[in-house]
Amino acid sequence: MEILRCSGKTTFVKRHLTGEFEKKYEPTIGVEVHPLDFSTNCGKIRFYCWDTAGQEKFGGLRDGYYIHGQCAIIMFDVTSRLTYKNVPTWHRDLCRVCENIPIVLCGNKVDVKNRQVKAKQVTFHRKKNLQYYEISAKSNYNFEKPFLYLARKLAGDQNLHFVEAVALKPPEVQIDMAMQQQHEAELAAAAAQPLPDDDDDLIE
Amino acid sequence: MADPAEHRPAEEGEEAAAAGEDEDTGAQVAPIVKLEEVAVTTGEEDEDVLLDMKSKLYRFDKDGNQWKERGTGTVKLLKHKETAKVRLVMRQAKTLKICANHLVVATTKMQEHAGSDKSCVWHALDFADGELKEEMFAIRFGSVENCKKFKDTVEEIAEQQGKEEEKESEAASSTAELVEKLTVTEASKEETAEKEETPAADEDVKE
Repeated sequence: MEILRCSGKTTFVKRHLTGEFEKKYEPTIGVEVHPLDFSTNCGKIRFYCWDTAGQEKFGGLRDGYYIHGQCAIIMFDVTSRLTYKNVPTWHRDLCRVCENIPIVLCGNKVDVKNRQVKAKQVTFHRKKNLQYYEISAKSNYNFEKPFLYLARKLAGDQNLHFVEAVALKPPEVQIDMAMQQQHEAELAAAAAQPLPDDDDDLIE
Repeated sequence: MADPAEHRPAEEGEEAAAAGEDEDTGAQVAPIVKLEEVAVTTGEEDEDVLLDMKSKLYRFDKDGNQWKERGTGTVKLLKHKETAKVRLVMRQAKTLKICANHLVVATTKMQEHAGSDKSCVWHALDFADGELKEEMFAIRFGSVENCKKFKDTVEEIAEQQGKEEEKESEAASSTAELVEKLTVTEASKEETAEKEETPAADEDVKE
């Protein structure tokens, strides 16, 4: 069993990429780069998101990971005091390489009842002029805010906002009967698998 | 945060307020790009909304043999004003990204989900990412009623599309017959025309 879990950076990025919420923990090794697209009233914006390892035993972060970074999110886990304690270190390393970039501090897992770091105990952002958001990658609470904040800062436009992505017309395709029978069989098998959770208050 | 489609923090009230939802504590930084406002198109301008409901969408991951979340937001059934084709479009709340985008066709069949009477499942050729992909979707609603309404509406549309397709193929086959007749008539006309025009043919050659 993994004792030391991280703050949920990869889960957060995956949430934005595919919508999924991955419960299984596999520590990120080095870095994984993902393009993250958003539609805004000022056109499409793409963040090349460098999802970095949080655990130093998997290499920590060399300066190379920070060079040319134009903005950053530092994430900690509100259920783990240790991850909040590490925030100044991450911030110092980042700022040594990237001067004066917009940075968002995120306290993740605010859906958990038993928090170790309470909202009013989070003060680091005030000292260092960071933006702070309480988020939950699990419930999607504020999950869009960090990227919205960064997009506004990078464009220097406080009115920038997300808009509906264009829903292109899906092309028409002929479906053959043999394929359809196969689909139905697969579907019946899938329908027997449980859905990940039964948190209906997410919907209403 | 009046939107019920998301969890509030476990510790609500004063503390959440203390975190300052809209308070900007960030440093002043110089922008790196200048962006102009653009005209926003949803791609749904020529369609009527038949249904619009909050829901949670899942896609089936065949490799892992499990359902994975795709998004929480609004599912819509949209009918095109001219072609009468209907499609299902689902968008993620807040980011408004597209989670699903596919036609409802005669073969679209909704099935019940074994574990939940607020959910149903179906197969689709989905175009959410701008390329056609085989997907199995499951959708969950806040109530059994909403799920039934969705399922019934989709089934109704599928039936309607089936009838349309039949009509179209009937129309197509009768058109084909007509075309055949037309070709025959034209051919005989041409024959006559050729005969009539024969004397003038020499002139054409000279030109």
